[in-house]
Amino acid sequence: MKDWPKNEWMDQWQALSRQYWNAFSDLTREAGNGAGRDAAAMPWHEGFEQWARMFGGPGKQSETVERVLASAKSFTAFAQSMIAAATAGNAGAAPNWAEVLRNGFKMPGADASLFSNPVAQALREISGQGVKSFEEMMQGLAPALDPAREAKSWLNVPAFGFLREHQEHYQKMAVALIEYQEQTRRYNALILKSSQRGFELFESKLAAREEPGRQIDSLRALYDLWVDAAEEAYAETALSPEFREVYGELVNAQMRVRSQIQQEVERIATDFGMPTRSELDSIGQRLHDLRREVRNGAGGQSSSLAREVESLRREVAALKAALKERTPAPAPKAAAVAPKPVKRKRSRPVAKERAQPVAALRADVKESVSAPVGAPPSREPKAAPPPRPRVTKGRAPVRAQRALPSPRAKKSVAKVAHSPTRVGHPVLSFAERMKAFARSAHKSHSTARRGGR
Amino acid sequence: MEPVKIEPTRALDEALKMQKKLAAGLKTLRELDDVGYGATDKEAIYREDKLVVYRFKGARKPTARVPILIVYALVNRPYMVDLQSDRSLVGNLLAQGEDVYLIDWGYPDRADRWLTLDDYINGYIDRSVDAVARHTGLDRINLLGICQGGAFSLCYTSLHPDKVKNLITMVTPVDFHTPDNMLSHWMRGVDTDLFVDTLGNVPADLMNWCYLTLKPVRLNQQKYIGLVDILDDKGELENFLRMEKWIFDSPDQAGEAFRQFIKDFYQGNKLVKGGLRIGEGEVDLGNITMPVLNIFAEQDHLVPPSASRVLADHVGTKDYTQLAFKGGHIGIYVSGRAQREVPPAIHNWLAQRAG
Repeated sequence: MKDWPKNEWMDQWQALSRQYWNAFSDLTREAGNGAGRDAAAMPWHEGFEQWARMFGGPGKQSETVERVLASAKSFTAFAQSMIAAATAGNAGAAPNWAEVLRNGFKMPGADASLFSNPVAQALREISGQGVKSFEEMMQGLAPALDPAREAKSWLNVPAFGFLREHQEHYQKMAVALIEYQEQTRRYNALILKSSQRGFELFESKLAAREEPGRQIDSLRALYDLWVDAAEEAYAETALSPEFREVYGELVNAQMRVRSQIQQEVERIATDFGMPTRSELDSIGQRLHDLRREVRNGAGGQSSSLAREVESLRREVAALKAALKERTPAPAPKAAAVAPKPVKRKRSRPVAKERAQPVAALRADVKESVSAPVGAPPSREPKAAPPPRPRVTKGRAPVRAQRALPSPRAKKSVAKVAHSPTRVGHPVLSFAERMKAFARSAHKSHSTARRGGR
Repeated sequence: MEPVKIEPTRALDEALKMQKKLAAGLKTLRELDDVGYGATDKEAIYREDKLVVYRFKGARKPTARVPILIVYALVNRPYMVDLQSDRSLVGNLLAQGEDVYLIDWGYPDRADRWLTLDDYINGYIDRSVDAVARHTGLDRINLLGICQGGAFSLCYTSLHPDKVKNLITMVTPVDFHTPDNMLSHWMRGVDTDLFVDTLGNVPADLMNWCYLTLKPVRLNQQKYIGLVDILDDKGELENFLRMEKWIFDSPDQAGEAFRQFIKDFYQGNKLVKGGLRIGEGEVDLGNITMPVLNIFAEQDHLVPPSASRVLADHVGTKDYTQLAFKGGHIGIYVSGRAQREVPPAIHNWLAQRAG
């Protein structure tokens, strides 16, 4: 770098700064906010503050703008400090670059927390509302926790009395908060250590650039070298056994705090009669288990339900096959249309010879068909009145017609009896069964009224 | 000699250039529409819960007889494989004549909190494989697992080897305990049960925060300083924002699946140590006897190459091929080099095993 006499350099520097601000003002009129101040004395990254004010409003790209500006601001602060500090040094003396870098993070306008710990700053700047909100909440609680920290041992005193459960919960929450702060401090200490190691590595990387042809001639190259050093140092720390232990403890401590807060929220929700997350989770888990069971069953996989259904299917198929084998061939059509008592008599011995399960099944079906009504008079074919003529539109006459079983209906009963499954009441219509039920109910009611209870 | 040789005028010039870029770029940023993604036309062939299996439609009919089903990770959205027309693994595979399907997991919510790895691997993946097989009229298909999806594909193939003809894994962690695996190193000190019991589903923001802390200065600051350089280039800016959208457009993680993944893979390293059970079956990589192509990235900070390379030592196949890509975990899908190298490599490898 050219050696400048100090006064000459200062003049040059101030002229350059004015030039910078004038050029910046040309870019935007609003940048004139700083017009009343001495442009030469203003930090360069102040320009990014101006941009941030102009573009910081809500909008689709505001997050991107915010990130770009924050990064550019850090870079310019870094760049300005490096140039100013290095050039203002005594002519001929090699500057201590690591020291210059450290001082760079103390530039006016730069985030004070950048000082000596720029990696921590980068970590804090990482987005994520979920994380940010928790951090903010913890920062808000920090002042209140300081006295509690001193009295941590008192928080382990057993609770008693009517509100002991509540007191115990609050004690646990306070302990969790204090432990979280302790773990955060341990974590920050490691990050600070990593940052300091970064400065050392930066210096050694710079030393390697002293050879001709490898010198750094731009701010960006200098910045990139610093980033390489910072990341290398961070990786060294982050892969250490100590960091693993501290990181794990920090995460676990944060989870304990979250858990305690959730319990408190649930308690309040319960008091207000609102559903809680635990309840919803419980329902969700039951529903999920049920879905798995149903799905596994449907897929014929290894659930007991699936096995049982499969077993039943095989049994039914065997019964069907047995029935088919033992049932005599259907009678000629004419006989089926006009059944005669003699033929029915012949069929009975055949039924008796059937295999035991089949016979039981038939009996079961017959029972189910005949159970509700007995044999109402209207079912006698001879007593059946002739179909009424259709005098009105609608379905009532048709229902009336169906309600009167014909000899054909009785034939259907016999057919149904051959079915291997319990079919309920396939012959009697719904209306017919309802009528029978009403009659039965009326009879019971009358008996009761007569004191037959 | 001094290591730094920067003239003040040059420094000023750099600072001014940055301001000028910002002046042009911030205006462009405000005028940009939402960036789109997903360049290739596709049709849904199977749906279940939030999952959709898509078939991509190429400009011409596929020449490959056996289709590829892409199994992506749960932690990011799968459109990374088809980000934009000139950065599309899918588009380039179609151009090579492959028939490409993809599982889109959707965004799990609290209703999915109880989904387990068994549900994902023996349930969703298995039924997706069946759906693709039905759609193509084949018994076996090719599986391409990416990152966590690669680990799932290894488990699936081990448990259902009769349904996979060829297996391709990309940037897939196999050995989770290599010394350079920072994520795994951190997770081993975490009480996973407390973590999942407290959070239920694991929020995407928390996951992203964790990824960014792997390289905090580079990913949170240096990247955006680099962005200033392209702020006045609308096309480049759109590319950047599209990538940015993908990075932060992350689904929450179903709690139970996350629990098992961390405990069995990151903490227990059971994929290589053994004892990994998915549902009622035990995963044995020795069951993977079909041809395997393992592709990893040499500069991968999320899945170090050492974590992938060891697959060769554990699979049962005699037909194992390894491809080291010069790039990072994301560059392997979207870089120019990736477009030139990866799809043809996959296609040629499959073509040699098409019989």
